[in-house]
Amino acid sequence: MTLLPLWLAIEIAEDDGELVKRLQRRDARAMADLYDRYGRLVYALIARVVRDAAIAEDLVQETFLRVWNRVHAFDAGKGGFGPWLLAVARNRAIDYLRSAGGRMRNALELQETDHPALFSDFEKDLLNADRVRRIKSALERLSANQRAVIELAYFEGLSQTEMADRMGQPLGTVKTWVRTALKSLREELGMAVPA
Amino acid sequence: MTCSELRDHYDLFAVGVAEDPERSEIRAHLDRECPVCTPAVLGARELAALLATTVPAVQPPARLRRRVLAIAQPATSQWSWAPLWAAVAAAAVIAAIFFNSRVHRAEAELARAQTAAAAQTRELARLNLAFEILNQLESRQVVFGAGAPAPPRGRVFVHPRRGVLLIASNLPPAPAGKAYEMWVIPRGAKPLPAGLFQSAPDGTALHVWPGPVDVTGGNAVAVTLEPEGGVPAPTSQPIVVAAL
Repeated sequence: MTLLPLWLAIEIAEDDGELVKRLQRRDARAMADLYDRYGRLVYALIARVVRDAAIAEDLVQETFLRVWNRVHAFDAGKGGFGPWLLAVARNRAIDYLRSAGGRMRNALELQETDHPALFSDFEKDLLNADRVRRIKSALERLSANQRAVIELAYFEGLSQTEMADRMGQPLGTVKTWVRTALKSLREELGMAVPA
Repeated sequence: MTCSELRDHYDLFAVGVAEDPERSEIRAHLDRECPVCTPAVLGARELAALLATTVPAVQPPARLRRRVLAIAQPATSQWSWAPLWAAVAAAAVIAAIFFNSRVHRAEAELARAQTAAAAQTRELARLNLAFEILNQLESRQVVFGAGAPAPPRGRVFVHPRRGVLLIASNLPPAPAGKAYEMWVIPRGAKPLPAGLFQSAPDGTALHVWPGPVDVTGGNAVAVTLEPEGGVPAPTSQPIVVAAL
């Protein structure tokens, strides 16, 4: 089975702003377009986190339901819809992992994705092909430990303390890996460090 | 803490590994729309969002698209009676047109019929989910208010992936401008909002909240009376508490 690159569906699509407006008008066809644009990426992200196809299906449906119910709070003119959708998807998946593992939920993260306005003002072409290629390349250039902590944080939702326990490393060492990894990714992407 | 003291923590916050007190401080700066921290955290979220695109490509099953589309059109794909409602609505409209030559009146009938059909299909979808939770072997049942003469009584059914179903009686209609809001409260964490609902004039209520629920011991489901638009955190004492 040949799989097109994940970003392709996003690259060829119409402007997200128009799609958001149609979703806010409760246009049922907009949901089909939303799924066709982001469904594969959302599924891949959630499947990567929970590593269970059946659970991933449930969580994808929950993600789109949440977006459908909260899209009215989104400012269609400001961009950032894709990042918000991905943040909702990731949080649903991480939340499932935490629940299944008896770990504490991160209530702050959940609250944040309940407020899509907090995701406005992103670059509208955030998820374009060039940036996706560059983040993948940047990730590959990290050291093995740096890449491991980023993946444990982002895809498994581990805290730095949990990562230290998992990796059998001192907490200070893990914190250094996390900081240097994020700094390297920023530099590789040409993203300015906050002033 | 000052913005400059927080600058090294924006990326950690966006990826979800910031620790207190910095995490709470950033949250507070965002809440007051700090002109320094707000754009900086947005930039950090860009980085976090890009990480999502690095996952390997996986083809979702075709049925998943149908499940997602059912969110916007729940009845057409989940409940076989929906076409019947649509047919009834259409028949009503045709009859109206036949017996009334004024087109604008027929259009008004059509709009009303479509609104009624949409409301019915939404209600059917809601009941469908309620039955789904009731029928699952994994669902847990918790009784609340038993033995109490006047306060709300009822049951909460919780399924770890499907959601929460609350059935109550003795729950008087909320005052004007108010609504009941359900909360799922993980042990030791903040309550998570789980939807708004109203009770019937006879004091009964049925509320369904779809989605994964942590059913481990020590967690709870609660109901408070809130402004009808809902609030992100409870502002009043719970009227119903069901410990899981």
